[in-house]
Amino acid sequence: MTALDPGPDTQPAGGKNLADAKGAAAALATSRRRRPSWGVLLGQPLFVAVVIGAWAVWRSNAELDAIEQRQLEWGLLGRLTVQHLQLTVVATVIVLAIAVPLGIALTRPGVKRAAPVVVAVANAGQAAPVIGLVVLLAIWLGFGFWTAILALCLYAILPVLRNTIVGLQSVDPTLVEAGRGMGMSNRAVLGRIELPLAVPVIMAGIRTALVLVVGTATLATFIDAGGLGSLITTGIRLLRYPVLISGAILVAALALLIDWAGRVLEEVTRPRGLE
Amino acid sequence: MWDYITERHSQLLYQSYQHLSLVIQCVLLATVIAVGLAVVVHRNPRIAALAGGVSAIGLTIPSFALLGLLIPLAGIGTATSVVAVTFYAVLPILRNAVVGLAGVDATLIESARGMGMGAIRTLLRIEIPLAWPVILAGVRVSAQMSMGIAAIAAYVLGPGLGSFIFTGLTQIGGANALNSALVGTLGVVLLALVLDALLLLVGRLTTSRGIRV
Repeated sequence: MTALDPGPDTQPAGGKNLADAKGAAAALATSRRRRPSWGVLLGQPLFVAVVIGAWAVWRSNAELDAIEQRQLEWGLLGRLTVQHLQLTVVATVIVLAIAVPLGIALTRPGVKRAAPVVVAVANAGQAAPVIGLVVLLAIWLGFGFWTAILALCLYAILPVLRNTIVGLQSVDPTLVEAGRGMGMSNRAVLGRIELPLAVPVIMAGIRTALVLVVGTATLATFIDAGGLGSLITTGIRLLRYPVLISGAILVAALALLIDWAGRVLEEVTRPRGLE
Repeated sequence: MWDYITERHSQLLYQSYQHLSLVIQCVLLATVIAVGLAVVVHRNPRIAALAGGVSAIGLTIPSFALLGLLIPLAGIGTATSVVAVTFYAVLPILRNAVVGLAGVDATLIESARGMGMGAIRTLLRIEIPLAWPVILAGVRVSAQMSMGIAAIAAYVLGPGLGSFIFTGLTQIGGANALNSALVGTLGVVLLALVLDALLLLVGRLTTSRGIRV
């Protein structure tokens, strides 16, 4: 349907941008199917629930030493999860607030020519390995939550920006023409024809961004910005496998849940007429 | 920064070589695994769809989490990073290989059979060559991804340029922290570009002439 969504048949996103290949690949795989089966939509959270349930049973019954007890205390786990979600949600919201309007602006007449340049610059920025980006920003700006947010935003802005541009560009020009012919203003054409038609593509980009951000947020622990990744680093530093594995399981479960939420969001926001 | 590079150029070259070699070996291994799997599953649409789903779900799992899960099994060091990088590298190739093989025109397979080719010869002479550009596109995605994952794997003492980045992190405030992190990051970017160009070249050389565009 669009350049975002060539299916694996054409040049994948990897040629154009390096770093978000993982997220893009994840999104491509599923966005190719027009409608994910309900089996997937229900199966994924069920699987996560089973894994978390099994882990919680283990956590309640396992014999842990004092350090492990302290690291895996329920309150701490809750706080870390909340921090992780905060990082994910705040970064994604900022990305949306920047990338969607920017994408819209870059498809308006007059500014249109700048679009390839902006995407190229965004691509170039994305080519850096994300851990390098996180560390460099921390050296420059210091440790902490907002540095992590900045790194996450820089990393996740491209998929949303690119998909917004591609989604809007792929709207059939005859429809826009028809809208104009009906006497709609530019604003009305954008709001009532172009954006609704581009929503599925934009949402696919947002889900890619969400998956990227939730995964990258595990690295926030390196710059003291919290999140569930800190369980993994603590587990490695203290060589406490229970802590390490708990962290890995919780992070993976959270990522799968966020991915699932993104899928549901994609389904819910798909305009009725596009079924 | 230039002084930093010249002072440490042997270490830098060595780690770059290690990084590149890790990625190339893992991606090669992943290609073999993924194409093998795809050959087995692509005839059955249900299992093929399942492979696509597994690929998508697998890519959702944060690499740092997988590294964590692997440490108890593979220990700290090279083994863990090899397994992790290979795991992620398999996924895009698998998905592309399944799609590529499924996209081969059935009449071509039919005529190959009609010419007296056996199943294996059909696979090697018809199906894989026709699916090759699609498979290779997956390999390129894998290679780029692996570069970044290998950098993260340096935290668990995997080989490669990631060690410069983590050195920068631990020496923060020190004189060479920025140099170290910057050299590591830019090095990975450079290697990724080089490898991508290399893969493009491989693509031109290995794509069957009849389907070259």
